[in-house]
Amino acid sequence: MANTIFPSTDWFQALSRRMEQEEAEYRRLGSIDCTMVVQIETSGAPELYEVAFEGFRARSVRRLARLEDASPGHFVLEAPLATWREMIDNIRANGGPDLEHTLNYLTFPDYPMRVSGPDQLEVDTFYRYNQSLQRFFNGAAEVPTAYAR
Amino acid sequence: MAKYTPEVEIGLDRMRELARGNFDLKWMHSNPQGWGHKATPGPTGLRLQDVETGYYAQVPAHGSEHGSMAPRGCSVPADTRGLGMYTLNEMSEVWAENAALLYDEAVVRQWNSITDVPWHKLQKLPDDIERSVCQMCTGLTEVEFVAGDMPAKWLCRINHDFHEVKLFLATQIMDEARHLDVFRKRALANGGGLLMASPGQEELLAAILEAPDYTTASALMHIFGEGFVLTLFRQGEFLAPTEVEKAIFRLCMQDEARHVAYGVKHLKYFLERHPDRAEQVHKILDLGEQAIFRLTLEPQTAEPRAILAGGGIENIQLGMLRMAFIYTKQVKEYLRRLQIAGLDREPRLTIPKEIPVEDLAA
Repeated sequence: MANTIFPSTDWFQALSRRMEQEEAEYRRLGSIDCTMVVQIETSGAPELYEVAFEGFRARSVRRLARLEDASPGHFVLEAPLATWREMIDNIRANGGPDLEHTLNYLTFPDYPMRVSGPDQLEVDTFYRYNQSLQRFFNGAAEVPTAYAR
Repeated sequence: MAKYTPEVEIGLDRMRELARGNFDLKWMHSNPQGWGHKATPGPTGLRLQDVETGYYAQVPAHGSEHGSMAPRGCSVPADTRGLGMYTLNEMSEVWAENAALLYDEAVVRQWNSITDVPWHKLQKLPDDIERSVCQMCTGLTEVEFVAGDMPAKWLCRINHDFHEVKLFLATQIMDEARHLDVFRKRALANGGGLLMASPGQEELLAAILEAPDYTTASALMHIFGEGFVLTLFRQGEFLAPTEVEKAIFRLCMQDEARHVAYGVKHLKYFLERHPDRAEQVHKILDLGEQAIFRLTLEPQTAEPRAILAGGGIENIQLGMLRMAFIYTKQVKEYLRRLQIAGLDREPRLTIPKEIPVEDLAA
């Protein structure tokens, strides 16, 4: 299977397809209705991808030119590319994250990953749907990944 | 002498009429306004939000005066007796615009402590770590069901016309039952056991249960108490020594965030209609802040987390320093949630916004 480049719309769409293939598991976790913006800090301008979840699937994936273009009511997960890379590699190596590479572990101290949003209730949706969001990223275990730089 | 009571005799007469073909059938056309209603399932299925539309979405600002359990939107016969138990009859006293959404979310995201936690992955831990996990679980077992007792205290007083809120609170009671259950299980499952209760926590629990009205109780519990506990759950996941605790805290975190979301939206709805009542909310938050700050000083509350944060009892001081940011995060998120609800708490805050770790260390 060819590698999919991270970060890219293709990569997030590959995770969305994994979500569709695992619908039974997502149904077990419960529906998810929120919009997540993933911000990857690089040596240049940060790259932004928006994933809108509805029910048991990702309704849309798109790249954003700037954060202001995000749908209203979203939260942002931001980290340097190296952190995303380490998390994805860890998920791929173990079939899921080890204790020190879960989304909550990485975001809780606000370092190396940070969760933010237009208001606190939007940030709180990251906590409300955490199991499903973790499962979404765990899909990376089945997506051979290469890195842009 | 009649064989049956007059009520039974009347019933038997009525049955004889039915047997003769004398039916009433008025009920079939009793509610023309409410007839012909349809609902379309969304991607998730058929949610409460999907059926509460049009005529059925009309929630009265003052709940029904008949005070019965007749469902909102049906035809209520004039001789329907009231139950005389509803004291929360104003929509603004209980309502939150996200109540139906959160109910739908709660029922579809339920989990259980029997099969959803990978108990088979429990492993023998160093003694100080097991004792710290067990103490943390003792504290959480003690505190969690206040968020079941508090809604249970008020639930039967809420007018039946506000069923979205009642249903949501019922899910919260179940959530908290599960939290009590799962933390007790963790304490008892791995060679340890329950350790020391927390007198400090009881003060906060009493303040919640003794709050003079539902909205102040909700502000203290949903926004303040559960907001702080939500951060503790996130911390629990962060410090978890095995996948078992990771799963427990992640699952509980989701539930807690729903409860916080209801509390914020309820307070917002309430204050928009009763801005003059903000002072009462401030006063109950004064109590809560003092109680929780005392709690951070209690050894059985603070020390086990410091041991876990430091990675062992030999690093407890380092763990204490590592934990200081958690308090700052709790206070910051608490103030932001109150801001959304329309309450500017920052000038009234009775506890420090952050703990001056370096000063303490010096």
